[in-house]
Amino acid sequence: MSETKTALVIGGGIAGIEAALKIGQSGYKVLLVEVAESLGGVLEKLYNSYPRYENPADLIKYKVEQLNECPNITVMTQTKVISADQKPNSYLVKLQNKSEAKEVEVDAVVIATGSQMLDVTSHGEYGYGHYDNVVNSLEFEEILKEWATNKDKVTPPKTVAFFKCVGSRDRSKGYPYCSKICCMYTAKQAGVVKEMFPDTKCYVFYMDYRAAGREYEEFVRSVIEDKKVKYVRGRPAKVLPEDGRLLIRAEDTLRGMPIEVTADMVVLAAALEPSAGTKEMSNIFPVKTDKYGFIDYETNEVMKTGERIYYAGACSFAVESLGAMHQGGAAAAQVLALFNQEN
Amino acid sequence: MPSSTTPMTADFFKAIKLDEIDNSFQQELLDNCGIDLNTCLECGKCSGGCSNTHIFDITARQVVKLIKMGEVDSLLKMDSLWTCVSCQLCVDRCPASIDIPRIMDYLREVAYKNQIPATREQVLVFHELMLGHIEKGGRVEEGFLAMEFNLKTGDYFKDVFDPGMKMFFKGKVNPFTPKMKKRDETRRIFKMTSLRKG
Amino acid sequence: MNVAYFPGCSLHGLSRAYNSSTHLVCDKLNINLQEIEDWNCCGATAAHSLNHKLSVSLGARNLNIAKNMNLDMITVPCAGCFGRLKTASYELRNNPELAKEVAEIINAPAPVEPEVTNLVQFFTEQVGLEKIASKVVKPLTGLKVAAYYGCLLTRPSKVVAFDSPEQPTSMDDILQVIGIETVNWSHKAECCGGGYAASETDIVVDLSGQVVESAKNAGADAIVVACPMCHTNLDTRLGAIEKSRGVKYDMPIIFFTQLMGLAYGYSYRQLGFRQLLNSASPLLKKQGII
Repeated sequence: MSETKTALVIGGGIAGIEAALKIGQSGYKVLLVEVAESLGGVLEKLYNSYPRYENPADLIKYKVEQLNECPNITVMTQTKVISADQKPNSYLVKLQNKSEAKEVEVDAVVIATGSQMLDVTSHGEYGYGHYDNVVNSLEFEEILKEWATNKDKVTPPKTVAFFKCVGSRDRSKGYPYCSKICCMYTAKQAGVVKEMFPDTKCYVFYMDYRAAGREYEEFVRSVIEDKKVKYVRGRPAKVLPEDGRLLIRAEDTLRGMPIEVTADMVVLAAALEPSAGTKEMSNIFPVKTDKYGFIDYETNEVMKTGERIYYAGACSFAVESLGAMHQGGAAAAQVLALFNQEN
Repeated sequence: MPSSTTPMTADFFKAIKLDEIDNSFQQELLDNCGIDLNTCLECGKCSGGCSNTHIFDITARQVVKLIKMGEVDSLLKMDSLWTCVSCQLCVDRCPASIDIPRIMDYLREVAYKNQIPATREQVLVFHELMLGHIEKGGRVEEGFLAMEFNLKTGDYFKDVFDPGMKMFFKGKVNPFTPKMKKRDETRRIFKMTSLRKG
Repeated sequence: MNVAYFPGCSLHGLSRAYNSSTHLVCDKLNINLQEIEDWNCCGATAAHSLNHKLSVSLGARNLNIAKNMNLDMITVPCAGCFGRLKTASYELRNNPELAKEVAEIINAPAPVEPEVTNLVQFFTEQVGLEKIASKVVKPLTGLKVAAYYGCLLTRPSKVVAFDSPEQPTSMDDILQVIGIETVNWSHKAECCGGGYAASETDIVVDLSGQVVESAKNAGADAIVVACPMCHTNLDTRLGAIEKSRGVKYDMPIIFFTQLMGLAYGYSYRQLGFRQLLNSASPLLKKQGII
């Protein structure tokens, strides 16, 4: 087995971590670069996961320990990929961290730069950025963490409303696609609130709930049936601040009547779009992208998007953490097959 | 006892035969206004924030649905046609940008052309008086328009004292508005676009 | 700066104060408003409600006259007229078949230019806040108002393409640079009832009532508008609104150009403040402005 082959994994979320681990554990060298201060990506920001209410911090801790134990893997945080030169069988890549620039030659690349939430100030009707207590779902995970930490000191909200499809399935001000994971994390968040504060009323405004996945349908049903979260079929039209609270106007489309509810907090499940890093990488590397800027796939090869370039996780489309981890493993398999064939 | 003419079971929910639905109006909207109702997600965001949904007999979302179900007759007679304020909230919020205000205009125009009575007669009277002003003089004189409206609707003293007289004494009402000169040009426009013959 | 000017019927009628204050303010800003010669009514709600082709044709005639003035921009103080002219231009641009027909109807070319802007848009985009601020001789400090945009200054956004249709800020910006505090409020882009002032007064009292109530709750001492329809609905129906809600609001409804005019040193009388049914004088006196 050659000692010289090196893979560059860009992005230290769960997909990148898994790809780096499997390549490194198989005996090849790995450079794992992450732009943030620490590893963990979006997962690190989450209060818990669905459908089993697990703590993502435990998963990250376990994975990072494995990374540290693997001598083949070098982790570089606060590091950016600046440029890449394609050579016959490698890429010459320039890396930049806080203090220095560095050039490395790598034999394969795994892009795992993830997605980000649409800036929903685009949807002025909901008042994000204008009214207090209108937050996006990722910000709400932080709030859940804080509530959990200071549970005894927090005044429970009387009502929390969740809006799904904010910028998803919206060709007017967002994206025509479904962002895939919002139905599930919204159900989870509403369920968590009810778990913490049983007297708080939770309303989920939905067009459809899409629960296609192992244990997913059962999960959403349990949120509705056991945790008593109310699902309302209709996309809210307007949020109006009123006496320090938020008046929501919508139509219950099954009843065919306008409805109003006053909430203390509105959580917007904003569309997922390619992250800034994903867009940068698709400019630097010869990869395929779709019309939204997500990394596109090659028809006959798993997780492949260009010559010696593979991808994993939400940089190619919205995906839940378990799926991202699986994709990291699949991308690693491709890199390993390539490296083994060339030895 | 039900009489012999009363059916034992009323057909409140008689099944609609899907394959007998007349889609011609939906096609007409696409052809004439470029509005494709197949893009509707049926989310209700239009009606949820509509300025006047609380007084609509048929809501914005239902208007789209009824066109798709071929039930145009009831739309041409609906009250919402004459209470829609064209505030453009629905079209700007619609995730598919369906131009509902334009649909409302289109329905109103068809209803007007076919002389289907408006449920709010006074709204139509006002529109007609206003168009009459423009046809004759090219411009609208608000004071006269209001007076004519009262005469026409028989509500002679509507707004006369409050706010009418107040407005007069504040010098708001201008009896000497500058007139338009080439009135033949606006008359020509009215003649060439006339919906009702004669 | 030269610009074609479409005042519309209301500015020659009930909203003359808006017309006169606009002229005064533009004088100060060295803007030469050239009224579109022999313009016709935009057709308002009546035309677009009943006859699309008529509505576009009425707009097209005005556009054609303006084009012959060799100016590249029209500014329209009335949000309603602005909406109709802008929509006419939009329809003519996107529907060549209709454009051909309309040209025949008006017996003249049906151009899509000059570009149609509303007055708030013209001030913010063409004149600029810096210049607007530079002419202030008396900052209107102490005034706390709600800038009310209503529907047609910013909607439909695909046609108007100016500011935000739900959370507009352009008029707030103008008011702020002349020293006024504007409140953050919920109904700045909700509807006042539009063209139903005379025919369905209840609708106007209901919708305008929500607007006034919301402005009051946000702590505003006045509502500032850029539309004669909004002005007429709010100003003339305030009495009815107060009666129906059982609340005394004390809420003058002022055109934004009237306040600009005060900041530029023009007098209360010159700016047509006396034509307001709900006098702004106690408020302006209280703040030492007049």
